[in-house]
Amino acid sequence: MLVEYMVVSALIFAIGATGVMIRRNFIVVLMSLELMLNGAGMLLITMSYYLGNVSGQIMFIFVAAVAASETAIGLAIVVMMYKRKGSIDINDFSMLKK
Amino acid sequence: MTEIMFFILSLVTIIGALGTVISKNAYASALWMITAFVSMAGLFILLNAPFVAMLQIIVYAGAIAILILFVMMLLDRRVLDNKNKFNPQYFWGVILGVGLFSDLAVLAYKFKINMSDAGKNLTLHGSNTKMIGDVLFKHYLFPFEIIAIILLVALVGAIVLTKDDKKEAR
Repeated sequence: MLVEYMVVSALIFAIGATGVMIRRNFIVVLMSLELMLNGAGMLLITMSYYLGNVSGQIMFIFVAAVAASETAIGLAIVVMMYKRKGSIDINDFSMLKK
Repeated sequence: MTEIMFFILSLVTIIGALGTVISKNAYASALWMITAFVSMAGLFILLNAPFVAMLQIIVYAGAIAILILFVMMLLDRRVLDNKNKFNPQYFWGVILGVGLFSDLAVLAYKFKINMSDAGKNLTLHGSNTKMIGDVLFKHYLFPFEIIAIILLVALVGAIVLTKDDKKEAR
């Protein structure tokens, strides 16, 4: 069962990474980022079970807290860019290139 | 029985993740994301981690998803529905994603660990929560405090970023 769990978490991580790379809507990119963090967290829980050590679950708690902070900051950036540009398309956010 | 539950829950999780990335409407994306998170909490229960499963439902499917839906509610609906949902170069992104997955899958098949402790040491007096509290406050107290500071900084940062500068100048 260990291999199946690892493959599922790798698949969730890869789907999330693909979403970060291909989507244009900034909010959907943030959701895909959450999926990536969750796939990595699922690997932590799997290892915690198969190694018989509860530290993996504690690491998942830390990951969840960091994910919550990251979402709050990301959505604040979305709101700020929407106020400034009137758009949440990621290809419009290229001020630093100019 | 466990295998059947694992199969169903992982299938729902993968479909939810794919729906998050593929669906055109951003609200539908958020609902697919909640589906993926809740079924992943079921997978955590299968892995003898009930506390973390409940944390997953409260923090991810509750707090983060509601935060995202709330911000989408504030934005204009026409802004959310783009004509082009994918980047022009999405082909290379998909290729990179498939490559990442095959890389990680090959690593997973080659991975060998000593599984003699599988499923043990996860409970203290029959409770997973007690074990987590015991280890968290004995061995991980300093990271716990750092996480508290990170959450505080994120709170202040979100307020500072969204503050309206024009009103302050008046």
